[in-house]
Amino acid sequence: MKSGDLFRKVLLASAISLALTAAPLMAAVTDQDIANDATTPNDVVSYGLGLQGQRFSPLDKLNTETVKNLIPAFVLSYGDEKQRGQEAQPLVHNGKIFVTASYSRVFAVDAKTGEELWQYDHRLPDGILPCCDVVNRGGALYDNLFIFSTLDAQLVALDQDTGKVVWKEKMEDYKAGYSNTAAPIVVNGKVITGVSGGEFGIVGKVEARDAKTGKLIWMRPTVEGHMGTLDGKDNGITGETNKSWPGDLWKTGGAATWLGGTYDAETNTLFFGTGNPSPWNSHLRPGDNLYSSSVLAINPDDGKIKWSYQWTPHDGWDFDGVNEFISFDLKQADGKVIKAGGHADRNGFFYVLDRTNGQLISANPFVNKVTWAKGIDLKTGRPEYDDANRPGAPSGADKGQSVFAAPSFLGGKNWMPMAYNPNTDLFYVPSNEWGMDIWNEPISYKKGAAYLGAGFTIKPLNEDYIGALRAMDPKTGKIVWEAKNKAPLWGGVLTTAGNLVFTGTPEGYLKAFDAKTGQELWKFQTGSGVVGCPITWEQDGEQFVAVPSGWGGAVPLWGGEVAKSIKHLNQGGSLWVFKLPKTTS
Amino acid sequence: MRPLFIFLLTSLLSPWGWAADSDTLNSPQWQFVHTRFLKAEPYQFDGAVKVEAPTDAEDSLNVPISFQVDGLEGIQEIVVVADLNPIPQVLRFRPKEMRPHLSFRMKLQQGSPIHVAAKTADGLWHVGGVWVNAAGGGCTLPSVGTASGDWTKTLGQVSANVWQRPDGSNRLRVRVMHPMDTGLASGIPTFHIENLNVLSEDGKVLAELDLFEPISENPMLSFDVPKQTQFKLEGRDNNGNKIQAEVVQ
Repeated sequence: MKSGDLFRKVLLASAISLALTAAPLMAAVTDQDIANDATTPNDVVSYGLGLQGQRFSPLDKLNTETVKNLIPAFVLSYGDEKQRGQEAQPLVHNGKIFVTASYSRVFAVDAKTGEELWQYDHRLPDGILPCCDVVNRGGALYDNLFIFSTLDAQLVALDQDTGKVVWKEKMEDYKAGYSNTAAPIVVNGKVITGVSGGEFGIVGKVEARDAKTGKLIWMRPTVEGHMGTLDGKDNGITGETNKSWPGDLWKTGGAATWLGGTYDAETNTLFFGTGNPSPWNSHLRPGDNLYSSSVLAINPDDGKIKWSYQWTPHDGWDFDGVNEFISFDLKQADGKVIKAGGHADRNGFFYVLDRTNGQLISANPFVNKVTWAKGIDLKTGRPEYDDANRPGAPSGADKGQSVFAAPSFLGGKNWMPMAYNPNTDLFYVPSNEWGMDIWNEPISYKKGAAYLGAGFTIKPLNEDYIGALRAMDPKTGKIVWEAKNKAPLWGGVLTTAGNLVFTGTPEGYLKAFDAKTGQELWKFQTGSGVVGCPITWEQDGEQFVAVPSGWGGAVPLWGGEVAKSIKHLNQGGSLWVFKLPKTTS
Repeated sequence: MRPLFIFLLTSLLSPWGWAADSDTLNSPQWQFVHTRFLKAEPYQFDGAVKVEAPTDAEDSLNVPISFQVDGLEGIQEIVVVADLNPIPQVLRFRPKEMRPHLSFRMKLQQGSPIHVAAKTADGLWHVGGVWVNAAGGGCTLPSVGTASGDWTKTLGQVSANVWQRPDGSNRLRVRVMHPMDTGLASGIPTFHIENLNVLSEDGKVLAELDLFEPISENPMLSFDVPKQTQFKLEGRDNNGNKIQAEVVQ
C-alpha cells in the first residue's frame, strides 16, 4: 500500500526530527562543564583549558615514554588566499572541534574524521584597524553556542551544529580603532570580553553579557575617570578622575583589554590585564596613568574592581600589561598554601601576587637583559626605574633622545599564553630575548589614526637565538631549564600530567619537552609557523593533541632586525590533529 | 529507455504527481529540485501558478521575476528555484495576511528554468515556471558594493513606497541595501539577507520571506498588501546584522 508507505515515512521523519531536537539539549555546554573543564579531559570547553588558564591537562597516556609514538591523525586546511597568523586555541566538545582563524573565520570539524562540518566567514569592512595582524585567538562554548569576537569589534554567537548566527552584538566602533581578537570566557552564564585598539587612543573596558542573548549586563572601563554601567545604569567611575592622568589625556587613555582574561572560582574573581597607556610617549602624560599596564581583579557579578596591581606604572616602552594572570597554589616550605597568581610581563619580570588582595609576593626577571628597571621593590611593589633608559621627550618638532631598552616592546613574553603544571610546580614561559632603540615623537590624537608618538627598531640580543622556552619556579623566581629557539617564540604552551610541555615554533614545528628537564622529546613539521595554542583531550580511549599552524602575528609586521631569522618563513592556515594510537600508549 | 525510466521513478516517488502535467520546461534538474527543495513531497504542475519573466535576460545580475498564485486557498509556502543556478534556491515566501504575489530581481549564472511551487494546506505543491535565457555570469561576480567598498556605508538601509492599485488594494515596494554576495566570487565570503518579514503597524506578521544568495544586490521586493499604508520590516542577514524599518506615508 502506497499510502501505508507514506505514513511510515512520515513517522520515521518525525522520529528523526525528535532525535535532532533532543541531541543539542543533551550536548549543551553548562556552567558546570566550564567550571570543571580543567579536570574533565574528554573535552576542552574553555580558553586556557579551565578558566584559571593553567593550560594543564591531567591526561598521562601521552608521556615522556610514549610521546615518540604521537602521529598525525588529520589536518584541515583553512583554504582561501587570505592566510596570515593562526593564533587560536581550538575547543573540543560533543565530537566536534571548533577553531577560529585569521580574518575572523570559524571552522567546525568532525573530531573523528577531520571533515569540515561548517565554516563561518565573518564579513569584514575594508576599514578595520587591527594593529598587529588579522588574528583571532579563539572562542567560548556555552549552551549550544560558539561565541567569538571579530576584527570589526563585534561579538558573534554561532549555533554549534550549523554555524548559523544566533545573536550578534556590536561591541564598539571599528572606525575609532576598536577591534577584538581575544577569546571570550563564560563565567556563570555571562560572556566576558575586552577590546583591542590601544594603538589608536581608544578606552579599554571589560564587558559582561548574557551568554544566551548577548544582552549587556555590566561594563567596566579600565582608564580612571570613565563611568561603568550595570543593567543600563551608572555603576561608579573607575578610579578617581585626574588622579594619575593630567588634563584630558585619560579620555583617549588606551589600556586596552586586548587579550581577554582569566577567572578564579575560589575567589570569584576575574583577572583582566590592561594594555599600554596612549600615546606611547610618556612625557605627555605625567603620573601612573591608572589602570594601564596593570591587572584588574573584577567581581564578575557587578563589574566592580576589587583590587589592581600595576606592572609598569607610567609605561614609556609599550610594555603593556595584558599577559595572562594564572591562578595557582603557591606551596610554601612550611606547608602553607597561598592563593597566588603568576604573570610573565612584557617588561621582563615574572610576578607572583596574592590573588586575594593583589599584594606582591615576588618579581624576578625571566629574561637575561632588563634595562628599564633595576628591579621591583617588594615593599612598595613599584619598579626601581633606570631613568637613563626612558626614551626622552621630543622638543618642538624634533624627536627626543633615543635609548636602547630591553626587553623590546614585543616583550620578554608577548600574548602567547604560558602554562602551569601543578605536578612540577613550574610555569613554562615562551620568552624572547630582544631589545629596541626607541625614541619619542610629537603626536596629537585623531580618531581612527595611530596614536603612538614613538618610533622604534627591534634588535635581537644574541646571534644564535631569540626565543627560549623557560621553566620558572614561582617559589624561587629561578629559571629551572630553558630550550632555545632561533626565531622568536610566538605560540601558546600546554603542559600535561604525562610530564610533558608542548609548544610551537615559527620554523613550523610542534615540539614536546620533558617538563622536568626541558629535554626535547618529539617534534613534527607542520608546514608553516606554529603561533597557535596546543590542546589535548581523550577520545575513544586515545589521547589527542591539536594545534593550528600558520605563520604571522606581530613579529613579521614589527620585527625590525628580527627579519633575518624569519623572512624565509611561509604563511599557512591549517589545523593539525595528532593522536597516540591505542596500540602504542 | 532512459527518459521513460526517469518518468516512472518520478511517478512512484510522488503518488499525486502522476496525474499532473509533466514539466513543460523539460528541466534536466527537476528531480533534484523536487527532492531537495520540495522534500520529495507530492506535487502537480498547475496553471494557477503564474510566473512572469523576460524570455531573454538583459542583465544577468538583475533578472526581474514576478509570480502570482490565484484560485488556490490556504497557501502555506511558496518556493522559487532557478534549476540551473549554482545555488538554485532563490527564496521562500510565506504570505499570511497578503496575496500570494511577489516581484523581485535575481542573479542568473546561465539560462535556466525558474520554478515557483506553492504548497497548499493539503500538502500538495502546485508548480509553475518559465524559462529565462541569460548570457550568464551573474552569480560569480563580486557585488558592486563589495567591489567599491561602499557597502559598509549603506548596509541594511531600507527605502519603501506604497501606492494604490486599480482594484483598491495597495502595493508595497521595499529596497534593502545589501551586497548579497553569493560566496562564489573569489575571496568574497557568502554575505546575504536570510530573512525579511513584513509586519503591520501593530506588529502582526503579514508575510515571512527567506532570501538566498541568488537574490540581486540591494534586494527590491514588491508585495500586494491589503489597504494598509503603514508597515514594519524586520530581518537579518547571515552575519546577524539586523534590518529594522518602519514604512510610513
